[in-house]
Amino acid sequence: MVAVPVEEITQTPVAQRRGVLSVLLSNRKFVIGMVVFIALGATAIIGNLTVDPSERRTGAFPARQPPGSVAILGTTTLGQSVAIQWAQAVPNSMQVGLIAATLGTTLGALIGLVSGYFGGTIDAALRVLIDVFLSVPSLLFLILIAALLQGVSVLTMALIIGLFAWAWPARAVRSQALSLKERPFVRVARLSGMGGGEIVIRELLPHMLTWLGANFLNAFIAAILAESGLSILGLGPQQEMTLGMMIYWALSFGAIFQNLWWWWLTPVVTLIVLFLALYLVHLGLDEVGNPRLRSRG
Amino acid sequence: MSVSWSYLAERFVIFVATIFISVTAVFFVPRLVPGDPLGAVLATMSTAAGGGSGSEELVAEYRRRFGLDESLFQQYLSYIRELLRGNLGYSIAIFPTRVSTLLADAIPWTVGLLGITTVISWLLGSLLGAIVGWSGGRARFLQALVPVALILYTTPYYILAIILVYGLAFRWPIFPLSGAYSPGRSPEWSLSFAGDVIKHGALPALSIVLISLGWWFLSMRSLIISEQGQDYILWAEAKGLPRRRIFWAYAFRNALLPQTTGLALSLGHIVGGALITEVIFAYPGLGYLIYNAIKGLDFPVIQGTILLLACSVALVNFILDLAYPLIDPRIRASRT
Repeated sequence: MVAVPVEEITQTPVAQRRGVLSVLLSNRKFVIGMVVFIALGATAIIGNLTVDPSERRTGAFPARQPPGSVAILGTTTLGQSVAIQWAQAVPNSMQVGLIAATLGTTLGALIGLVSGYFGGTIDAALRVLIDVFLSVPSLLFLILIAALLQGVSVLTMALIIGLFAWAWPARAVRSQALSLKERPFVRVARLSGMGGGEIVIRELLPHMLTWLGANFLNAFIAAILAESGLSILGLGPQQEMTLGMMIYWALSFGAIFQNLWWWWLTPVVTLIVLFLALYLVHLGLDEVGNPRLRSRG
Repeated sequence: MSVSWSYLAERFVIFVATIFISVTAVFFVPRLVPGDPLGAVLATMSTAAGGGSGSEELVAEYRRRFGLDESLFQQYLSYIRELLRGNLGYSIAIFPTRVSTLLADAIPWTVGLLGITTVISWLLGSLLGAIVGWSGGRARFLQALVPVALILYTTPYYILAIILVYGLAFRWPIFPLSGAYSPGRSPEWSLSFAGDVIKHGALPALSIVLISLGWWFLSMRSLIISEQGQDYILWAEAKGLPRRRIFWAYAFRNALLPQTTGLALSLGHIVGGALITEVIFAYPGLGYLIYNAIKGLDFPVIQGTILLLACSVALVNFILDLAYPLIDPRIRASRT
């Protein structure tokens, strides 16, 4: 029997002792990223609520107006306000990210934990599956499925993207589970009679939460990226507005060559700001989860 | 040299499994989607053709060629058999043309664009990242590259592509707006045509190089920074080796290993991003082929392109896996 040092059992990560939230809130990158992200979402949602439904119609505004008194962000060739489209697009795109990232991360965490903790044949099979999904460009199969479905909604799109987003978290969770399962506290849990499933959920999962949060953000970014990519290819939700669909319509109406720069620039800048904000949050989470990075700033 | 056989066997299994799963998925996914999409496409086509006498025969011919009246397993077997012969079927939009012909026309453009840009950005990004990471806080102006790389890394390829088209092709027309060569020309082996191709390829290439460079830069920088604290570097410094030699022969070489794994792992993303970049520049590669096939509901072309891309990515990954033991002696020695 291996002796288990007491201090290792009772040891908790620094982040837990001080309260994860206060550590996060003292991290500059996390706060800046979060503020920008929430501001984007809130502006769009509030904007959406204040819009008069009649203004959503095609032709509600004079066409091709540059940003100004007629419409804050200008109008499209079909006389729609870019700002009103934007206010619909931002929450929809965020919804795709949220649903897809939740689905992908949950699936990935489960598969990774099962594979890493139980080992053996299950692990060997799952590992091959994970590697296969990692080496196949998921966008390709998203294209195939979306093309076959002919006309997806924001929700279907989010679900399809989520189903292809589990391989990265699964791989990482698996390697974490491998290293965690030989730690003293897991051995103690096993000796005290906990079952495999209980150990996985009660002992292993809490140690990965910060880390899973960072992964969730990655999946969130990837999902919005996949959404805009598919939309630009003409596979997006034609009946709804997302940031990708805004770019798709702008491009297909030749907004670039007609010098309607406000039309395409609005979703383009929004995507850049959104990704930067999310990446800052991600960096912040990384620093909290991995204190060695903190000093480097 | 004793390359670990279990390592090679594992990578080979993954390679074969990837190919098998891709091939199988491309076959079954269209049949799992409710409502016979192929039938729907064919019906749309025959209406689009004005219900003329030829179109119904075409539909019937298609059903026969796809073997849609056979059992699913039979269909799968004949699909594999045809694949092995290199037969990917016929395009619906441009009927008598084989999918393989369309692919063969598009491949050189994508391979050229993607191959060159990936190599350039990987080398340049790794080199710059290593230099900036190694210099630490001593060179302030170099540190200014870090936020730039961060912005580039978080921007998708096609977003930069749109900005570049507007800026350098429309607003200040230095480069052509779209295509891979001037309209009216046909590909030939001549110096002036090569110049034309380079001029047209510059912007798509620039957007791919700049964006992927961001990530190689950032990851190499952090790799070098963590190498700097390692014992073997301290030991080399204590021995009095010149810093230049420690950098190239010690830190850089070691950091190159995870960087190669990174290349293998992100290949799928690079391919995906490049496809959409091609669409924005109307660059006649595989991405533009898929885009047009989507618009024309040309499923055989979509399937063929996806199959080809999935298999090529798997193949390149496998080759990188094989090359890995050559640069990492630890894998050569033992790997379980």
